[in-house]
Amino acid sequence: MTQEENKIMLDEIASLVSKWKDKEGNLIMILHELQNFYGYVPRPAALELSRALHTPLARIYEVITFYNFFKLEPPGKHIISLCLGTACYLKGSAILLNEIKGLLNVEEGATTKDGLFQLDVVRCLGCCGLAPVIKIDDKVYGKVQKSEVMGILSQYNNHQEESVK
Amino acid sequence: MIKLTKNDLDKIKAAHQDDGRDWIKVGMSTCGIAAGADKVYALFVEEIKKRKLDIQIKKCGCQGMCYSEPSVEVRVKGLPDVIYGKVDKEGVIKILDKHICGNTLVKDSIYELRTKR
Amino acid sequence: MDQKIVFIKDTGIENDRTKDYYALFLNLLRENSLEDQVQINRVADIGIYNQGLVVKIFEQDVIYANVKEEQIKEIVLKTIKEGKVIKELLFQSPPKQLRIVLRNCGEIDPENIDEYIAKDGYQALNKAVQENKPEKIIEELKKSGLRGRGGAGFPTWLKWKLTRETPEAQKYVICNADEGDPGAYMDRGVLEGDPHSVIEGLILAGFAIGANKGYFYVRAEYPLAVQRVELALAQAYDHGLLGKNILGSNFNFEIDIRLGAGAFVCGEETALIASIEGRRGTPRPRPPYPSVKGLWDKPTAINNVETLANIAPIILKGGDWYAAIGTEKSKGTKVFALTGKVKNSGLVEVPMGITLREIVYDIGGGMISSKGIKAVQTGGPSGGVIPQEYLDTPVDYENLQKLGSIMGSGGMIVMDEDDCMVDIAKFYLGFCVDESCGKCVPCRIGGYQMLALLDKITEGQGKLEDIEKLKRIALAMQKASLCALGQTAANPVVSTLKYFFAEYQDHIVDKKCRSHKCKHLLNYSIIQDKCKRCRVCLINCPVNAISGDKEQGFLVDPKICIRCGKCYEVCKFNAIAKE
Repeated sequence: MTQEENKIMLDEIASLVSKWKDKEGNLIMILHELQNFYGYVPRPAALELSRALHTPLARIYEVITFYNFFKLEPPGKHIISLCLGTACYLKGSAILLNEIKGLLNVEEGATTKDGLFQLDVVRCLGCCGLAPVIKIDDKVYGKVQKSEVMGILSQYNNHQEESVK
Repeated sequence: MIKLTKNDLDKIKAAHQDDGRDWIKVGMSTCGIAAGADKVYALFVEEIKKRKLDIQIKKCGCQGMCYSEPSVEVRVKGLPDVIYGKVDKEGVIKILDKHICGNTLVKDSIYELRTKR
Repeated sequence: MDQKIVFIKDTGIENDRTKDYYALFLNLLRENSLEDQVQINRVADIGIYNQGLVVKIFEQDVIYANVKEEQIKEIVLKTIKEGKVIKELLFQSPPKQLRIVLRNCGEIDPENIDEYIAKDGYQALNKAVQENKPEKIIEELKKSGLRGRGGAGFPTWLKWKLTRETPEAQKYVICNADEGDPGAYMDRGVLEGDPHSVIEGLILAGFAIGANKGYFYVRAEYPLAVQRVELALAQAYDHGLLGKNILGSNFNFEIDIRLGAGAFVCGEETALIASIEGRRGTPRPRPPYPSVKGLWDKPTAINNVETLANIAPIILKGGDWYAAIGTEKSKGTKVFALTGKVKNSGLVEVPMGITLREIVYDIGGGMISSKGIKAVQTGGPSGGVIPQEYLDTPVDYENLQKLGSIMGSGGMIVMDEDDCMVDIAKFYLGFCVDESCGKCVPCRIGGYQMLALLDKITEGQGKLEDIEKLKRIALAMQKASLCALGQTAANPVVSTLKYFFAEYQDHIVDKKCRSHKCKHLLNYSIIQDKCKRCRVCLINCPVNAISGDKEQGFLVDPKICIRCGKCYEVCKFNAIAKE
């Protein structure tokens, strides 16, 4: 971490702590905002947060690791959220999961070696009418067939800049 | 905004009763947006502006008909209120051309009938 | 030019493309020179299913169903031309849905508080604070018979009364919007479609129990819902509906939003409290109940989104109005997220006491394919399956429990012949094992062991004694787990064992999965009569399990085959058998 990055981090944490310090039960909300900022909770940030909140680091890690939502590793460039809710499962999302795993050579919750994709399994995105559903970043793909997976992923592979938005 | 007192609620209520204008309502909740409701909404806004139509465009929540998202409800005086389902870009143009400008409903796209006229 | 408007829908006979009723109508109209006066519309959906050809004539507001081809002429001549109603054809069925919770969803702009107010929004709050009799609200709720919609069905009035009666100056109310049940999204629908209805309910809850602070605990995975609730709260503060001296009264109330972080167990009230306090969301033994010792050890009433959305209408229209809807012990309506193999997935709100069959067939439009319905699952991972022979059971808390399922939060998943019940049980149990917080032994270890047994069974390694083991562990989990997650985690296994024991037997004794879901039990083989010897399967097999040549034909070696199904997919001649 460069000095400049360190300064940004200290400022961010100071502003979060001052925003939340008078509110009870603030830790989870601060972690949410921190993760929004970084995409995950970096260890130096957790350390600094522990100092600023006068909370033991173990307490902070206890919370981070308990909740599925918080991440300790930097996310991949594109986040694939594959829905394994009941409706999607019934309509074959487990098959899609295997297909993605095979195509990208990546496990659930992990990032591809090139850092391009992260594969997350989620329980219900709330679009059961479109089952089975895959979400990549903010774009939702509904009624996905196994044969379409390759095509969807390849949009993100090549011209990354255009496909992001 | 001034803090409301008991009588203000009734005033707001009265001010927001149906003013008789025609409207288009696009269902904009997660499922609708996932199916493309945001694009449908944007296209309606653009086309209404381009064609200088006197019609309100509104957003609303989920009508509960996830299988037919994106869904669009239309009220035009003289015609029954209907909900169009699975509306895409062409659907938007059809609704504008036929229902709003042409005073005829768009066949095969209606997913629910509301009463009124 | 004022045209008559006619709608037609050939429901239930969609596949019969030989009949073009639309053209038939058009011809008849032309023959009678009516084509300029009538606008005929073929619609994609008319909300009436399995009733043949349905015709709605807008002017007279009549609906004809099961119309036969030869009767079309009569309709054109009598009803359309002369305006006479043909009684024999009339379709009269009261609407199946009744919208109380979803009253404004899809009607109003959820981002505009004025539209909510225009629909009588905040009138109930106004009435309550002007009368200033909190007990009366609880009394009205008691009359209404409203029970918690989060799953367990505890009477809402009693929860509020107990919290109110606990002597303590500081009290809290919480809205539980941590909807984690996979395949259920009723709460999301309400929060995104009508957030103010829930906020008004929460303020009324605070008023009734004497709390001045409320929390909205929302699932972080619902970004749009979070955004709309935040906006709605800001508008409510702006309008003086939150904050000090609400609507000019002495009542002060604040609401803060707290985000969940992806833990299903946080739907349990003591775990939810721990999470709001900023800790790991693990439950604690009850009693003491939150109504006595809740958030920061203060009396707390926790209500689910749907429960709160019911409050304002009950206060405005009275408890008796609400109690008139539903069955003897389950009053009002229930919102279900109807999904799975049903034609129309979506949110439905129905009066309690409606049958499952009515929900699936009359509202959901029936099954998506020609495959028969096998079961309906309610209650998500805490619930059970209801086999098709019980489809005529009226839906209420007691009946579903009797059948071994629960009302739950409102997930309703329709399953067909393609769904393997052992696999479904494994799916739900796997979910609970993932989500177990690990605090108590029966849930942590019991769930894991049951899952291992189910894995064995679906891989063809199961023994009949495993069933007894499953039942024993299930009982231990039900009796000894700390919270509802563990107590109910075994329900999907128990109920599938009860109704679909034969499927377990198939897996264990015959080593067969009749729904072709459990891949370890599948066998791929080549149907020699259909095989065109094109070698595509051989080339595509990733493990070289297929051998042979063009003269002799090809064979799949089951010892090498990994059951990936590639050959089945690539064969253009359907020459691969999967059994």
